[in-house]
Amino acid sequence: MSRDRLLRILGHLGARDGAQPPGTARRLCEVCAEALDVTGAGVMLVSGDAPRGSLCSSNSVSALIESLQYTLGEGPCVDAYNSDTPVLEPDLADPATPRWVAFGPPAVDAGARAVFGFPMRVGAVRLGALNLYVDRPGALSDDQHADALVMAGVAARAVIAMQAQAPPGALAAELEAGSDFHMVVHQATGMVAAQLDVSLAEALVRLRAHAFGHDRRLTDAAQDVVARKLRFRDGLPRNPT
Amino acid sequence: MPREALLSRTFVELADTLVEAFDVVDLLTMLVDRCVEVLDVSAGGLMIVAPEGGLHLAASSGEATRVVELFELQSQEGPCLDCFRTGEAVLNEDLTTADDRWPSFAPVALGAGFRSVHALPMRLRGLVLGALNLFRTDQGAFQPSDVLAAQALADIATIAILQHSATLEAQVVNQQLSTALNSRIVIEQAKGMLAERAGIGMDQAFSQLRSYARNHNQRLIDVAQSFIDGTLATTKL
Repeated sequence: MSRDRLLRILGHLGARDGAQPPGTARRLCEVCAEALDVTGAGVMLVSGDAPRGSLCSSNSVSALIESLQYTLGEGPCVDAYNSDTPVLEPDLADPATPRWVAFGPPAVDAGARAVFGFPMRVGAVRLGALNLYVDRPGALSDDQHADALVMAGVAARAVIAMQAQAPPGALAAELEAGSDFHMVVHQATGMVAAQLDVSLAEALVRLRAHAFGHDRRLTDAAQDVVARKLRFRDGLPRNPT
Repeated sequence: MPREALLSRTFVELADTLVEAFDVVDLLTMLVDRCVEVLDVSAGGLMIVAPEGGLHLAASSGEATRVVELFELQSQEGPCLDCFRTGEAVLNEDLTTADDRWPSFAPVALGAGFRSVHALPMRLRGLVLGALNLFRTDQGAFQPSDVLAAQALADIATIAILQHSATLEAQVVNQQLSTALNSRIVIEQAKGMLAERAGIGMDQAFSQLRSYARNHNQRLIDVAQSFIDGTLATTKL
């Protein structure tokens, strides 16, 4: 890690010329994308070895990249977290080794041609992964790669610093703003559990199965449940007539 | 093994521990033992400042009571305390002439069979964490190369402790984050379940859960969990 590199990145973080207020998760993502010169960046949080959601995304494509990984359980951030090494895919539409059968196509359709995941940790404590995408195929340059490693470390420390300020038992306000922890999925799970009179775990399975069977995203199906456009009854989901 | 090789190996082993999770006490004990070997001294110890101030023994090279006692005495007086306060090394102090400087400590150290004592500061930039304390049974002075080696080992101990603290804090905060996220999930699930059962909107469901928690002096997460578990009936909310 070069000291100059770190100082430059920290400088970006503290600068007040960005769209987002300094010291926030949104600003962190904004800086990640700018400083690393990629099309978009996002931070995925993992706890209990399960993706929990996105801390921030610099644009809607990054938000989609995280959301796909959350619902599908595969992708560059998932792999980066699990393997604890950077995961690099310079051409998602034509990878050298096929991977992420479910994640790849929708991500490419949305405009992500190259995707990269960098694990985020403080010492031995693993927090998640930084996800970067570019709208053209190609590898990261050596500088971008080195900067991304530093940025992932900075992002991890930033998450810890933000949460450390929170009142006991609560999520830090700075972590909530701009984040997406897919609360709609959890709300929908509660509703389906009540509709079918089953456990929450089973309700989630049914919700996922419905989304999969209808080629829909889990979060979209969940939205419909919460909006009462989709009900589950007698084990068969149907739209209210 | 020649000293240079032993020193190199020590540094590499210590550097490795900074990357992976490690037990800081094991590390410091290993460091002190290695110091004693590399520097050809009789005994060594690491004294670290405690949160409330004052030095305490973090690791020592031997468990002989007499040795441990020598460190414990130093919370009040002695080379470690001097070193810690000034941030400067205390070198080649002859214990036979140290009665004025350390009236309580010097006689006890002499009685334990030691003749000379050294203390190297554990410091990082302006921050002094404690001292590396070394005893010899002879009055031989430390050579400049010995001093450099001892200070380098003290520096690694400092970094290891600071790294450990940072990781420890990160572990604690990460655990809190995990708990907070899990609690939110349970609360959202309870909202959905209540909204469905009572035929109300999500906001109203949240409001009812929150009112119940307030009126019964319970935490929202506990109310949400009870509702999900079935021990709290919908009608009560």
